[in-house]
Amino acid sequence: MKNSRAAYFFIAPFILVFTAFYLVPVGYAVYLSLFVRKRIATGQAPQEVFSGLDNYARAFSDSEFLRSLANIVVFGVVQVPLMIGIALLLALALDSYKGIALKFFRTVFYLPYTLPTIIAGLLWGYLYSKDLSPFNQISLALGGGKIDFFSGLALFFSIGNIVTWTWTGYNMITLYASLQNISPDLYEAARIDGATGWQISRFIKIPLLRPTLLLTMIFSVIGTSQIFSEPFVLRSSGNYVPDNITPNIYLYLTASRDGNFSYAATLAIILALITFAFSGFFLKAAGFSGERK
Amino acid sequence: MTAPSVQQREVRLMKRTRKRPGERMNWTLILVLGLFAIYCLLPLWWVFVNMFKDNPQLFSSFGLWFSSPSHLLENLNTLFTREDGIFWTWLRNSFIYAGFTAVLTTIICALGGYGFSKYNFAGKGPLFALILGTIMVPSTALVLPIFLLMQKLELINTIWAVILPSIINPFGLYLMRVFWDSGLPDELMEAARIDGAGHWTIFWEIGLPLVRGGLVTVGLFSFVASWNNFFLPLVVVSKTELFPMTLGLSVWNTISTGQTPIYPVIILGSLISILPLVIGFLTLGRFWQGGLGAGAVKG
Repeated sequence: MKNSRAAYFFIAPFILVFTAFYLVPVGYAVYLSLFVRKRIATGQAPQEVFSGLDNYARAFSDSEFLRSLANIVVFGVVQVPLMIGIALLLALALDSYKGIALKFFRTVFYLPYTLPTIIAGLLWGYLYSKDLSPFNQISLALGGGKIDFFSGLALFFSIGNIVTWTWTGYNMITLYASLQNISPDLYEAARIDGATGWQISRFIKIPLLRPTLLLTMIFSVIGTSQIFSEPFVLRSSGNYVPDNITPNIYLYLTASRDGNFSYAATLAIILALITFAFSGFFLKAAGFSGERK
Repeated sequence: MTAPSVQQREVRLMKRTRKRPGERMNWTLILVLGLFAIYCLLPLWWVFVNMFKDNPQLFSSFGLWFSSPSHLLENLNTLFTREDGIFWTWLRNSFIYAGFTAVLTTIICALGGYGFSKYNFAGKGPLFALILGTIMVPSTALVLPIFLLMQKLELINTIWAVILPSIINPFGLYLMRVFWDSGLPDELMEAARIDGAGHWTIFWEIGLPLVRGGLVTVGLFSFVASWNNFFLPLVVVSKTELFPMTLGLSVWNTISTGQTPIYPVIILGSLISILPLVIGFLTLGRFWQGGLGAGAVKG
């Protein structure tokens, strides 16, 4: 390690792109959020007028937006622990499994993550579809009725299932990779002391997994706040999906359909701040502070 | 009460032999793992079975099993000739976007990671923390302002609107720093410096070959991220001939809900769109593990 001007040469390209496509857009979004689109006089085109924090005030009394936030919070509270729980269980199972199909399982579990979300949404959309769904075919054959995967609460489970399908394997492999780094001597020692497989998992593996569990949770919280493609594709397949199902859908429609970019920018900033707060809360709750090494 | 008696030791030995780790629990394990494997494969099985069917067969036959006669060739023909073969264009676009993104991301992350790993400079700690912190900000929150900026720069509806914003990858920078930390020992650098090697020579000729695994990992992850990206292209390109495949298929899906359903085309298209990634994943699997491991350990 030494001080050298050469360092700037090496980091310059990254910093340049980072500034141009990260810092500047963020700054621009903040700037935009301070303006409101208004028609100043009748017959004139609407103009962007400086309005201070009006957009923020509007956002916090916008029941549609608040509803989308509530949706995603409730969704996250159910989705994230469930998904990480399944991933943890499977990672522990895979870690104890010594059979010949290990490589097969590892590959298959990871496969869904490699699919584009939009394609995953398309395929599950077919599996949910009224006329094409094999679940409905089975249900009908057994004398039951068709299942409506899109009505009310069912819609959340339908979206949650796509998210679970895509990400559980990814989280599991991350946890599994971390388990592989634990020295087997530890297990051997515990086993000699008479620990059962379950006790080894509970008292050795899970505590050592803590940092990785935390990492996967934070990524899941961030991922949840950004849910867009799944409801978007279900919606474009002609199903009824409310405009405010997630904040991202709502802000996309605000910009693309209503053309209200300054308000959409405000919503984006609020969403980012809330996500930031949640992630920070997780870090703090887990006893992490300051910069990671 | 001193050392464990012979009896005690024998009990322990019995326990160990009786347990024979893995044997008794195997069936529960296999059941759990097997069920989850079926769940993971279900949509893929569905798409595989249904690419052989035409529209009426999709509705009349059982969705999880084959139906004869096969219409695969007909479906392939429709897919690749529809709208003057635009699916080819979308496929090519996806390769161009993902390829450029992967190469550029890997270059700037390799350089940047090296700078952060091997040098000290003013503001290094806070700068790295700032970059890492951005992982927590939803990237979709950036897309709208990026759209407006691109509009100002007149880059909307160009390939750069899709590529340039995709090449910032804070996690990639972090991974490369980890790889540089462990891949290129300081002593080796010192030795090279004494032999008269300059900064660039050390980086290019001595360092890079040692972090090849990291380069492939970062390249692979950014390729996949770009290939799978939907929100950014949705916002910054509106010309059909610039669509990546994800966007193209989504538009066809929207059309398909109208009076002319084109399910077989979308089903086959979906399958083709995931093939490159599945193949890449199966052949380069160990690099995925590498990236995840590094992320996990240091987490």
